[in-house]
Amino acid sequence: MDPRKVIVCRCENVTLADLEEAIEKGYRDLESLKRYLRIGMGPCQGMHCLLFTAKYLARKLGKSVEEVYLPRNRVPLNPVPARYFIRRDWREMTG
Amino acid sequence: MKTGLVIIGAGIIGVMTALNLVEKGYRDIMIVEKKYPGSGGSFRCATGIRASFTSLEHVELMKRSIQLWPILSEKYNIPYARHGYVWLFTREEDLEMFRCIVDFHNKNGVPTRIVSPEEIAELVPTIKTDQLVGGVYDPLAGKASCFKALLNPLAYIIRKGVKLVESTTVYKVLIESGRARGVLTDKGVIEADKVLVAAGYGSKEILRESIGVDFGLRNIPKHALITEGYQRVFKPLLIDWETSSYIVQVLHGGFLIGSSLPEEPDKPPRSRLEYPVKAVNVWIRYFPWLAYTNIMRYWTGYYVMTPDHHPLIGPLSTVENLYIATGFSGHGFMMSPAVGEVMADYILGEKPGIPYVEHLLPDRIIKGRLVKEIAVFG
Repeated sequence: MDPRKVIVCRCENVTLADLEEAIEKGYRDLESLKRYLRIGMGPCQGMHCLLFTAKYLARKLGKSVEEVYLPRNRVPLNPVPARYFIRRDWREMTG
Repeated sequence: MKTGLVIIGAGIIGVMTALNLVEKGYRDIMIVEKKYPGSGGSFRCATGIRASFTSLEHVELMKRSIQLWPILSEKYNIPYARHGYVWLFTREEDLEMFRCIVDFHNKNGVPTRIVSPEEIAELVPTIKTDQLVGGVYDPLAGKASCFKALLNPLAYIIRKGVKLVESTTVYKVLIESGRARGVLTDKGVIEADKVLVAAGYGSKEILRESIGVDFGLRNIPKHALITEGYQRVFKPLLIDWETSSYIVQVLHGGFLIGSSLPEEPDKPPRSRLEYPVKAVNVWIRYFPWLAYTNIMRYWTGYYVMTPDHHPLIGPLSTVENLYIATGFSGHGFMMSPAVGEVMADYILGEKPGIPYVEHLLPDRIIKGRLVKEIAVFG
């Protein structure tokens, strides 16, 4: 299959061809690939793309998935509308 | 293992220093990083860039940095834009104080100006200005991608022969008859002719272990969140002076809001529900539509503060071949192009060309000669 047509990260529109090119350029750990390609930085927070990328990278480099370690998940796990945090007493609450 | 120069820390400061050295033909460099490149403050920062400071040391260093940012942007494909900063004031006394600061800026080549609420509305589409008494606009300020600013030059210097050693902790700098001769790591000794400590807050422990000096670094916890990406709404980074909170629509489109909560220094910050509450309530007063954006990610970081809130940059007079670049007090990313240049000059035995930069030598902490702010707040 044409790597330009395989979507790795749907949120940020990253293809397998982009991923291969980045690995070729020397971005060989998941943290760097995340920042360079924005894989896992969109609304899905990496739930769809990071595991795939980790496995692909591990296979490509002959490492285990643990060795290319997954970036830390940040809260919130799903995007949350900002209006849920509107409070009249916010000043007292936040010092 | 043996190398010419060991740089402790693959943050933006270490990478920019190595980049300047490589461009000057010095390539025998090993960067030793505790985790992965950018994993400290560099990748957590707000990406803002400005020269509108209140000391000559900061102003001159940042004026040079702002000359360099567009050049780096072009050369290493780093997204950068001179989108400006706007300080927002809800109290008359804050505006009054800033009139002196703007005078100081203008005398020193930084083109800030006082703006009325009407002018703010023009600079910042969709903003509600009813509670504002005025603001300060800095058109020279801007922002850049912190990810590309570090990763692209790093890939370049690695191609030129610089070695990056990741997941390796440096315990101390080895010193023999008053000269640095390498570093001790959790994976063994790396011998080197010169050593640069650019390890953020980690520098505190390394320097205490190596030379027995505590430079008084303090880690101040900071909080930041970002929304999903949207089309460009406004360009400048905005600072709400009253709550000391900022919002910036980063080049990728997300709205990044940063601030602090009352917290103890030097302790690892945790994500707290109070933070999104503060961020949202400060900024919906200006942008009611913010209520309908989605918050995507919340993270914490630090400002590594020095006793005078100015960085420690340069060689130490007491130990030969040992250099320090840390304590940027929240401004390391924006200063990194100029600091990289200055550090490369020091390491190659040349005199840096930026005015007042010698005031930032780390010796000043030991000798008690702290940098004084010229424009006094309040």
